Amino acid sequence: MVVVESAGITDVGCKRTGNEDSLLVDDRMGLYIVADGMGGHQAGEVASRVVVETMKSYMERFADGSEVEELEDEDLDLTQEANRLLASIRLANSSVYSISQSKESCRGMGSTVSAVWFTGDSFVAANVGDSPIYLIQGESIEMLSVPHTVIAEQAAMGNGDAVKIDEKFRHMLTRGMGVLDTVDADICENQCFKGNTFVICSDGLSDKLSPPEILAVVKDEKPDKACARLVDMAKERGGDDNITVIVIRVKNVRRDSGFLSTLFKKLGWS
Amino acid sequence: MPILQLQFKDKIISKYRVEKGKSIKIGRRDSNDIVIENVSVSGRHAKVESADNGGFMIVDLNSTNGTFVNDKMITTHQLRHGDVISIGKHRLIFGYVKGEARPDIEEKQEEEGWMEKTMVLDTEEHREMLAKTADELRAKITVDKVGILSYLSGAEGEFPLTKKLVKIGKDPSNDIVVGGLTMGKVAATISMMPTGYQLSYVGGMSKPKVNDSTVKESVKLEEFDTISIGSLKAKFILKG
Repeated sequence: MVVVESAGITDVGCKRTGNEDSLLVDDRMGLYIVADGMGGHQAGEVASRVVVETMKSYMERFADGSEVEELEDEDLDLTQEANRLLASIRLANSSVYSISQSKESCRGMGSTVSAVWFTGDSFVAANVGDSPIYLIQGESIEMLSVPHTVIAEQAAMGNGDAVKIDEKFRHMLTRGMGVLDTVDADICENQCFKGNTFVICSDGLSDKLSPPEILAVVKDEKPDKACARLVDMAKERGGDDNITVIVIRVKNVRRDSGFLSTLFKKLGWS
Repeated sequence: MPILQLQFKDKIISKYRVEKGKSIKIGRRDSNDIVIENVSVSGRHAKVESADNGGFMIVDLNSTNGTFVNDKMITTHQLRHGDVISIGKHRLIFGYVKGEARPDIEEKQEEEGWMEKTMVLDTEEHREMLAKTADELRAKITVDKVGILSYLSGAEGEFPLTKKLVKIGKDPSNDIVVGGLTMGKVAATISMMPTGYQLSYVGGMSKPKVNDSTVKESVKLEEFDTISIGSLKAKFILKG
């Protein structure tokens, strides 16, 4: 059982008129999602909202313990929990895809998705697109998500700034929600520890603030204050895009300890 | 001398002989040796040249839409028998004539920068090709970093860490089962994170050790670390 303190904000920013980002902060389910939509004429707003709502309703069925169909294409290299989260992403992808295929005004829309789900004493992080998920442990900040952009993939290959790529192409996603009828998300799962802090955001924030800057704000503030401060900083620096951020701090992890360790703990030996 | 066969939609259009010391220019303009009439092909798109080792190279001439060999974008590439060069929607197949001497280049293949300039993505096919290239390279990066537990005692052989989360403990549902009275149902996990592998303590009296120091929460694994949990001892190795 992971006990967390969380907060999330979305802000239209300084330059845009509409907000294409959507978010979910659900402490009961332990589910946190940021989706950054794309596509003209409000289609981006539709895409990101459909992603969040579809995932939420799918995961709710699972959380309530009500009947959920068996997964058809379970990845045996992942835990059952990771497979559940993946299934919700796949379902959200087909929802967005079918709307974009059937409605003229939504043609070509898409979205990113980055989600963290706490289960038992662990977490599962999954992403499609370029909305980062950071994990802060003490003084270190690392990215749990894998950015699916051409430029990031270049950097990962060690090509770094030797590559000259057209500006338009730089931010081009190599994967997106609702772009094709299937989608492949990147997954990371691990144990959770007291004090771990997760930050999920849209690129409206990560384009303006470096990971060390995010670390500096988040480690000293409570989640709600940290979110407000991060959004303010991104806006002070131009706020070119919509800004969304969720901060989740792990307050306690109750583990299912074995009989002996419980006994020894009671005796004060451990 | 090897031959380049120009194809469009699986139909052979023409064949060209590749000769030592002679460069073959490929592009849209009439001044090229191989002219491909298509808007997606640059005026001067690519050329085939003799290489020092007796083989031949294909060189992209900063074309707008790129040159692909076997669906991988290239800037320069040493041609091997059966290589498929894609320029726009046309394909050029490189091959040696039967019985002809071929340079031994198999072992000298170098990693080439796969994308070096401004590009315009205009067709879906093209996007797919790029996505595939990126996917393959990404897959390669991941594969390069695959960790392995090489058992020192308590078990034999090795355990490849290909799962995102490997569980170790007493319960039979674990990926690695280790017995013992003080062993937790799940004692420890090894997680594959984007930045590397991380070992975490989960529960039970037997805490895992990395290089003889007890892990209370979690620790990043470095290559050649020695991990021990109960009776099990293993070395962490990266294989690529």
